[in-house]
Amino acid sequence: MLSALQNPRQAAAQLLNFGLILSTAFMMWKGLSVISDSPSPIVVVLSGSMEPAFQRGDLLFLWNRNLMEETKVGEIVVYNVKGKDIPIVHRLVRKFGVGEQAKLLTKGDNNLADDTELYAKGQDYIERQDIIGSVVAYIPFVGYVTILLSEHPWLKTVMLGLMGLVVVLQRE
Amino acid sequence: MHSTIVRGQNVFGFFTSVCFFVAALIAASDLLAPRTPKATVSVKDVQVVRGRPHYYSTKKEEYAVIRFSLSADLSSLFTWNTKQVFVYVSASWPNSTLGEDGKGELVNEAVIWDSIITNPSADHLQNIGPAAMKKLVKSSKGKKIDPSRGKLELKNQKAKYQITSPTGKLAETDNVVLKVHYNVQPWVGVLTWTPQIEFGMWKKVKGGVSKVFKFPALKAKKEAEKKKA
Amino acid sequence: MADQLLEQVREAAEGQIDFEGQKLAELLATILLCTVGGISFLYGYFLQDIKLALYIGLGGTALTLALIVPPWPFFNTHPVRWLPVGGVEKQQQAMQGIMVDGQLVG
Repeated sequence: MLSALQNPRQAAAQLLNFGLILSTAFMMWKGLSVISDSPSPIVVVLSGSMEPAFQRGDLLFLWNRNLMEETKVGEIVVYNVKGKDIPIVHRLVRKFGVGEQAKLLTKGDNNLADDTELYAKGQDYIERQDIIGSVVAYIPFVGYVTILLSEHPWLKTVMLGLMGLVVVLQRE
Repeated sequence: MHSTIVRGQNVFGFFTSVCFFVAALIAASDLLAPRTPKATVSVKDVQVVRGRPHYYSTKKEEYAVIRFSLSADLSSLFTWNTKQVFVYVSASWPNSTLGEDGKGELVNEAVIWDSIITNPSADHLQNIGPAAMKKLVKSSKGKKIDPSRGKLELKNQKAKYQITSPTGKLAETDNVVLKVHYNVQPWVGVLTWTPQIEFGMWKKVKGGVSKVFKFPALKAKKEAEKKKA
Repeated sequence: MADQLLEQVREAAEGQIDFEGQKLAELLATILLCTVGGISFLYGYFLQDIKLALYIGLGGTALTLALIVPPWPFFNTHPVRWLPVGGVEKQQQAMQGIMVDGQLVG
């Protein structure tokens, strides 16, 4: 730490390196976003409403292009409801009509009732534009860290503490 | 690798790479397993009744109440990477305005029945009562995968979901058809649905589509109530 | 006193190993983790048991961590033998202070 102050060239190199890592991650995220045409191409499952298919903390990859065919019944989609900031991952169970105006109804595999209650007041169906992607691939558990950190903020303190300990114990 | 912390970091870092690689291999191993599902589905009874979407609603809509028989063999979908197979039967019907060929596209589709079939490796994740769970676990004791769960035999099964349309009108609709679909949920990798084209060792579903039928005229109110009672 | 204590804790936490040991640790870690990955996939695939694959992978990794991370004695069998500092006189001088460009400092 002190050596970084004594050697500004090394400090600058470290800073640049850190910036490089951040910008690479950002580029990959945005690149995936462009390829899949989804504002959020990777999402972490936050609720148990799709169990046993998805558990909390599982990682889902989304695809939001209709290359060969339209989004259809049976697909698992992630959609936004007006006035709610957390997107929902549920399965499409009904579709009336075609194209952008098609009326779509979703339901969680683990829920008894369909999602009409979850939609905005007076809204009975969602439309294609509400969907930010269909689930195409799945990796279990990897996203659980984000859930842990957001639900137990003291873990952040613990992590900072551990990092500090490492710095103290490391010889320069 | 000179100090404990660096060794820990390096080993953990390489562990994540190995994990990723093995996970990719597991996902790819799905392609080596042939999929040859077959299914037959037929309509046993269909009625259209008037009802309300929920108890407090004043809106009256027409609901199709369907009974069907399903015989399916989806056992080839169960491999070590299968977490669950989601089977569902949907009803599709065209809009009342006919297309140029006089048939109309099947633009409306609604799931009338579905079922989650877990592989034994995912049994513990099912949201069912303790008694049912015990029975389920016992049914394939000692087995790591259980393809026999993919064999379905439903006779005169009542639909789980009673369907309607946004207009509330459903009676006297022609060209309705039932279709069987599946969705394979892997432990890691790509989710797959009933394929539209054959892909390598994955074949299309044999059968899986019912004969064309129609939603009949509305049942007289009294009769419908008698049925309900 | 506190400085000494900190230095001791640092020494223990650092767990230094010699250069040959570092080479060995690197090689061992790579080979072990690759083998564990291979075994876990093959066993899982041929016994069609994904949980077994998971347990083999995690167990093998835990073993690897236990073998590589602590500064086991076999990583320290080639200590670096530093050349003596010049002659005997200079060595004595070095004990008294630090040599910089042949001049005694401090």
